[in-house]
Amino acid sequence: MEVKLLEYDDNHVRFVLKGSNPAFANALRRIMIAEVPTLAIDEVVFLENTSILFDEIIAHRLALIPLKVDPEFIDAARHEPSKYEVRFYLDVEAKDSPLVVYSGDLKTDDPHVRPVSDLIPIVKLIPGQKLVLEAYARIGIGRDHAKWSPVSACAYKYMPIINIDHSRCSLCGNCVKYCPRQVLSMEKDRVVIKDPLACTLCKYCETVCPNDAIRVRGDDTTFIFNVESTGSLPPDFIVLEAAKILKEKCETFLKLLKEIREEHT
Amino acid sequence: MIIPVRCFTCGSLIGDKWEEFMRRVSQGEDPKKVLDDMGIKRYCCRRMLLSHVEIIDEILRLEEARRKVSEKYRR
Ligand code: SF4
Ligand code: SF4
Ligand SMILES: [Zn+2]
Repeated sequence: MEVKLLEYDDNHVRFVLKGSNPAFANALRRIMIAEVPTLAIDEVVFLENTSILFDEIIAHRLALIPLKVDPEFIDAARHEPSKYEVRFYLDVEAKDSPLVVYSGDLKTDDPHVRPVSDLIPIVKLIPGQKLVLEAYARIGIGRDHAKWSPVSACAYKYMPIINIDHSRCSLCGNCVKYCPRQVLSMEKDRVVIKDPLACTLCKYCETVCPNDAIRVRGDDTTFIFNVESTGSLPPDFIVLEAAKILKEKCETFLKLLKEIREEHT
Repeated sequence: MIIPVRCFTCGSLIGDKWEEFMRRVSQGEDPKKVLDDMGIKRYCCRRMLLSHVEIIDEILRLEEARRKVSEKYRR
C-alpha cells in the first residue's frame, strides 16, 4: 500500500491510496466519519433563558459548534472517554440595545479547548432578555451523534483510467467539448488527457463519442481520498487515527477468533 | 429562524459565515463571488447561505410590539 499526498491545508487533505482494495478504503472512510472521537457539548443546564428560542434549540445549536481540541488529548482520551468533561458557561444579557450571542461568548476554564470559530451566532436578544447556562462537553463518536464526527466531507473515488483508441478517433472534438470537468484537450492531431484526477467517471465522453474510441473506467485498487475536517482536529490526524482504530479492531477480531478456537479444541 | 450552525448535508460549519455573506451581498456584491471568496465550494453549503432568511429578526420585532401592548394594558 502506498500513499501520495496531493493537497494539504489546515482543515483539508487530499491523497491517493495505491495498491489497496474497496473494503479497506471504505473501512477507513467509515471510521473517519463515525468512530474517530472528538469533543462536543453534550449536556446543557439552563439557569435562565428569556430569549425567543426554546432551551432545546439552543442546546442543539451549542452541540453543533465544533470544538478545537489537542489531538494528543483525543488520542489519550479514546480509551476512557467518560473520564473527560469540559465545562463551559455563558452569561449574557441585552441591556440597552439588541445583542447577538456568539460562540465566542462561551467561557471555559480549560485553556486547551476553544470553539473553532468565535463568530457562530447562537441566539439574538432584545433589551431585557437574558441567557445564562452551563454546558458540558464530552468525548464521543459520530456513530452516536453527528455532532461528534470530526469530518464534514469525507469521500473517495476510484482512480480514473481513460483509454483513447487513436486509430478509431476521428478528432471530432465531442469528448473535449462535453466533458464537464475539462479533463481532455485537443492537441494538433490527437486528444490528450490533461487532468485525469479531475475526472468524475461520469462517462459522458463515451456517450458523445461517435466512434466508440474513448473508454473510461475506475481502478478499484487506487483511491483518491478527500477528507475535510470540521476544524476540531487536523485532517492528517483524523486519517492516522482512523487507521489506528482499524488496526485495533482487527487485533480484537483476531483475539476473539483465537478464543473461540481454543474453546472448541 | 436563525442561520443553522452547520450545513444540513455535509456538516461543515457555515453559521459563522452568514454575517459576512449578508453584509457583502447587501452592499451589492455578487453572491457567487462572495461564496467563492469565502471558500464555500460545495453546492450543499452554498444553498445554506443563498436560501436562508433570518426570520428571527422579524420575530424579535413582534416580541417588541407584544411587549409594548402588554405594558400598555398593565397600566
Ligand atoms: S468520464 Fe466524464 S469527467 Fe471523465 S473524462 Fe469522460 S466526460 Fe470527462
Ligand atoms: S469524441 Fe471520440 S472521436 Fe471524437 S475526439 Fe473524442 S475520442 Fe475522438
Ligand atoms: Zn455542505
